[in-house]
Amino acid sequence: MKTATAERDALYDRLIVERARTPLHAGRLDRPDVQGDGRNPLCGDKTHLDIVLDGHHIQAIRHQTRGCAICAAAADLMAEQVQGSTIVQALDMSDRFMAMLVGPSPLAVADDLPAPLGALEVFAPLRSHKARIRCAELPWIALKEAFSHVDG
Amino acid sequence: MSTHTTRPASQLDVQAIRRQFPILGEKVHDRPLVFLDSAASAQKPDAVIESMANTMRHQYANIHRGLHWMSERTTEAYEGVRDLVADFLNAPSREEIVFTRNSTEAINLVAHSFGALLRPGQAVLISQMEHHANLVPWQMLRDRAGIELRVAPITDEGDLDMEAYKALLADGKVALVAITHMSNVLGTITPAQQIAEQAHAAGALVLFDGSQSVVHHRTDVQALGADFYTFTGHKLYGPTGIGVLWARRALLEDMPPFLGGGDMISTVTFERSTWANIPHKFEAGTPAIVETIGLGAAIEWVGKIGFDAIAAHEAELTAHALHRLAEVPGLNIVGHPRVRGGVVSFTMADVHPHDMATLLDRNGIAIRAGHHCAEPLMRRLGLSATARASFGIYTLKEEIDVLADTLVRIRDFFV
Repeated sequence: MKTATAERDALYDRLIVERARTPLHAGRLDRPDVQGDGRNPLCGDKTHLDIVLDGHHIQAIRHQTRGCAICAAAADLMAEQVQGSTIVQALDMSDRFMAMLVGPSPLAVADDLPAPLGALEVFAPLRSHKARIRCAELPWIALKEAFSHVDG
Repeated sequence: MSTHTTRPASQLDVQAIRRQFPILGEKVHDRPLVFLDSAASAQKPDAVIESMANTMRHQYANIHRGLHWMSERTTEAYEGVRDLVADFLNAPSREEIVFTRNSTEAINLVAHSFGALLRPGQAVLISQMEHHANLVPWQMLRDRAGIELRVAPITDEGDLDMEAYKALLADGKVALVAITHMSNVLGTITPAQQIAEQAHAAGALVLFDGSQSVVHHRTDVQALGADFYTFTGHKLYGPTGIGVLWARRALLEDMPPFLGGGDMISTVTFERSTWANIPHKFEAGTPAIVETIGLGAAIEWVGKIGFDAIAAHEAELTAHALHRLAEVPGLNIVGHPRVRGGVVSFTMADVHPHDMATLLDRNGIAIRAGHHCAEPLMRRLGLSATARASFGIYTLKEEIDVLADTLVRIRDFFV
């Protein structure tokens, strides 16, 4: 069906639609060590993170997100990717994720940052949808906010 | 203009009108542009574009103070628009027309200059469905002048709650009622005459924000019983950067100036200045000359088409949209006011308005999504955002069909 092509836009990868509809890492944790919030005043989207730490490792992370498909999927895939990593590794991933979206060029990202972003690469087409980049950034803002409460 | 009654068939030759809007021939993402965002800002006809370009090409200089031919002709063109606007609003006199940058600035002017006459103990009354433009200036005035800011509630259907409105006026403390003439979110056309009558009976003046409504039907500030009326040029097929405040002469004469500078003075010494007569007292500095002339062209252009035909066309489009959108699975229309203009807000179960807007855009369809500069209204409705389609003089029924069909596919894609 010819008319369907625009819906099957690269921006809405199947994984994004699936995770927005059925998130795997949504919910709350009973005793989080740190929590973070992200809110986009322009659209009212918001995400809340509960994180349990083991030293500097992220042992468990859950998100509660109210927002568009991009935002909800970004939160779910972020939780999946950072679980088990250290805070430093997670923040590094955040930098690489944003470089992928707003960096000087996709090539530069590939050259300077060889580490793959895994499933998070489904958000790469956002580069050409500037108005929507904030949607994917929101959970990472919440993550940074959570880590700002961690000493050392 | 109830949406449930039969209307006469539109007498507009919409295709002929569309040919006068060059932008409507553009493609977006390789698809014909379907522009359903006129309530945010309308597109411009050749008549407006040409008048502005011709001004800059053939007849332009600064106004009011030049002693040369070009300045005199440009002053005539600029001041001629004041006559056109006075006629457009059926204002009693041209001196009551003040040019501003937009409706927001017009309301700020009133909040500043009329607001300077208010004292603690007095109140300004707005409604729950105000655009931030008719809310924030009054909050600023409240904090500056120690007045009270009251908010009249709306019903679940999206109409002003007239009983509650009346009750809020009852203690006689309200000095000014400032209410939209048409909601940019719900499409509600407010009962302005009734609002004004009740305000006056309680000793209050009334300001209507006409940004949305002047586009859709004839405006008569005298018949409405308004004391202040504001609108903006860019929603009326005119340029950005030009808006209008109309106020009754006695009010403008009592109010202190808003901005100081050239053009608004009578005499200036280092010790003191005296003010020019109205309306110039409120027009400091070189105004938006070219934009004002463009607004004049827009008003003349709309006038040639006539509001009977425009209102009939838009009522037909709105009824068609309400009918077609109701058929889209999971779609919920936000607001069911008694009388409405060509603005329809909606949400869709399991699909966020921003995702709708992005996917519609990929199909060449431009709508608005978000809180529409009316955050408190969104909170009242229990929503964080809606999608909004709005219609203009050039909108085709077929474009609404494209919107509805695409929304069905978007729903299929997400659910």
